[in-house]
Amino acid sequence: MPPTESKATAQQPDEHADLLAEIEASLGEGKLPLQTFNDETVHQLELDRLFGREWIFVGHESEIPEEGDYARRYIAGDPFIFVRDINGDVQVLFDSCRHRGAKLCRAEQGNTSHFRCPYHGWTYKNTGDLVGVPQKEVAFKNLDQSEHGLHSAPRVDSYAGLVFASLSDSGESLEEHLGEFTWYLDIQFKLPDGGMEVIGEPHRWVVETNWKTGADNFAGDSYHTGFAHHSIKQLGLGGDDTVGIAGAGETKDRHVHCDGHTTSTRMVEGEEVFMTYPDEIVDLFNPDNVTPDQYEAAKEALSFTGSVFPNLAFLNFGDITDDPNKDVTGFLGVRKWRPLGPNKTEIWSWAFAPKRASEETKERIYKVYMSNFGPSGNFEQDDVSIWNGITDVADSTFARHHEVDLNYQMGTEEMSEVAYDEEWPGPGTVYAINLEEVGMQKFHDQWFDHLSTPRDGETMSRDCGGGCGSAKADGCGSTRTDDCGSAHADDHDPATGSEPAGGGE
Amino acid sequence: MAANTDRDSELDRFLLKQRVERFLYEEASLLDRREQTEWLALLDEDIEYKAPLRVTREHVNDSFSRSAYYFDEDYGSLEARIQRFESEYAWSERPPSRTRRFVTNVRATERDDGAVDAESYLLLYYGQGDDSSYTFLAGRREDVLRPNGETFTIAKRHVFLDHAVPEIDKISVFL
Ligand code: FES
Ligand SMILES: [Fe+2]
Repeated sequence: MPPTESKATAQQPDEHADLLAEIEASLGEGKLPLQTFNDETVHQLELDRLFGREWIFVGHESEIPEEGDYARRYIAGDPFIFVRDINGDVQVLFDSCRHRGAKLCRAEQGNTSHFRCPYHGWTYKNTGDLVGVPQKEVAFKNLDQSEHGLHSAPRVDSYAGLVFASLSDSGESLEEHLGEFTWYLDIQFKLPDGGMEVIGEPHRWVVETNWKTGADNFAGDSYHTGFAHHSIKQLGLGGDDTVGIAGAGETKDRHVHCDGHTTSTRMVEGEEVFMTYPDEIVDLFNPDNVTPDQYEAAKEALSFTGSVFPNLAFLNFGDITDDPNKDVTGFLGVRKWRPLGPNKTEIWSWAFAPKRASEETKERIYKVYMSNFGPSGNFEQDDVSIWNGITDVADSTFARHHEVDLNYQMGTEEMSEVAYDEEWPGPGTVYAINLEEVGMQKFHDQWFDHLSTPRDGETMSRDCGGGCGSAKADGCGSTRTDDCGSAHADDHDPATGSEPAGGGE
Repeated sequence: MAANTDRDSELDRFLLKQRVERFLYEEASLLDRREQTEWLALLDEDIEYKAPLRVTREHVNDSFSRSAYYFDEDYGSLEARIQRFESEYAWSERPPSRTRRFVTNVRATERDDGAVDAESYLLLYYGQGDDSSYTFLAGRREDVLRPNGETFTIAKRHVFLDHAVPEIDKISVFL
């Protein structure tokens, strides 16, 4: 069940109309108000209207391989138990006893056949079914136990082992949400025989950053790499093409916007690169697991970085090491930005390796991942230090009073040299350059669509004559480029009122 | 006679603890003064430097991952981290952080091979920049020290942080 329902309807203008109108005006210019990166109202709207209905990553099936394995997971502030039940099915159960609400899960992870409430002892199977009520015959003789199982997240689905849940019972399916972007996910998660698995437990740490800054960064911020991470290049920890200045290297660089998600990739044409994974791993990469085009893309790729709307991101990074005197490798990192407040995010970061890799190789991949990402990572340390500054200034009186906007105009026709790659075999709008921020604009547009749509599914009333007369130009304006070259651009327009409650691709 | 033997071994233990403490204090001081290259010289080339993730389990009070770490370093990767901090582009330590390492609860035992098992508690104050915020990291360390004249070198350090989820922007300091 959705935790809350907004009272707003089409007849009652949204109480946040002013703020939303200001945001919308900025979006139309390829900008975003700085204050949205540290604002309590925005945060509450995000909890309610974005995290309250969108598909949110919960975990990977390999984290709970055996029956009874469970791990505590969260959707924004809400605690869930991610568990493989006695039937082998993956469940995402709301961690709250049906009697008086106590939390059942006391550990970060473990294995159990039952969850027993510490308060009065109601006991649930790991399927969520209520199987024990102390003194039932006396105290609760007419309680229908079948009606009092643990709540499940309203919708749970998975793709390539990645489990997602939605707090809304309606809206587009996960399949629709991921759309054709699965073409790119397949390259990261389906290539090796035996599949991918998580190594160890995810890194979790709490940073004083707004979650959208991380999301922005992974939605195509190739521009920052050569500068913010210049120390990596200086030290020889990452190759020129991995951490060099965007647009200046030898690699063939692309940015892709596809069905609301983005990826950026660097490739060496005609070469067999495979993210510089060791031969042992490359031998596991089987062309039969993907299409020939996907296999070719993986083969030439030095790196893939990407973002799945709203708060999942990945990087499959090559030519990188923990020590300039050791061999480079690739690694796959997956991360989630969990909002804890307008200025607080818990970052979750998982390392992946092919399941069939040797222990030694998994250790090596983990070590290189950890040296570069996670709280002590040589890359990540520098990112977060910079991101915090954005969060600080976003809370300033000056930013609010003067409507300070952030600029995301790189890659628009007016601003940049834009080149598209018409030859690329994969789906999406493909830029033949990694200097563009339109992917971030796409992210903001979807984010805005959610925020401006109350949870009951009614679109707020807005003066938007002609269907698209407002300042927001997406789909009919000048600064935007259509996503995926297809019908999706129109779907972004909240003014049409056609978006379902759980929609928002 | 028996009393004297007890006293001698007690004195030996005391002197060992004294020497270990002196070493750990000196080491902490080097790091707090950001003399990281000098700190590196205290490490053996076969150093194993690890800080595993704490994992909260239902029935066990002290449980740590066997495969996930904040640090899993050898000499080469530590040297790379130290060199990186010298770069003007190492934004995580620009400006350099202010740290204060409080090392306490030291216990030391001599091993048969002459090396010393040293356990200590660490409380690390971490502040940076010109604002009032700061944070602490707390943990327990298990070291293996190799005698080196009157002092030691570090052959192994395992750091067990107390935090389930550290509330710190980044771990850009050595523990
Ligand atoms: S709250 Fe769980 S048994 Fe009462
Ligand atoms: Fe970065």
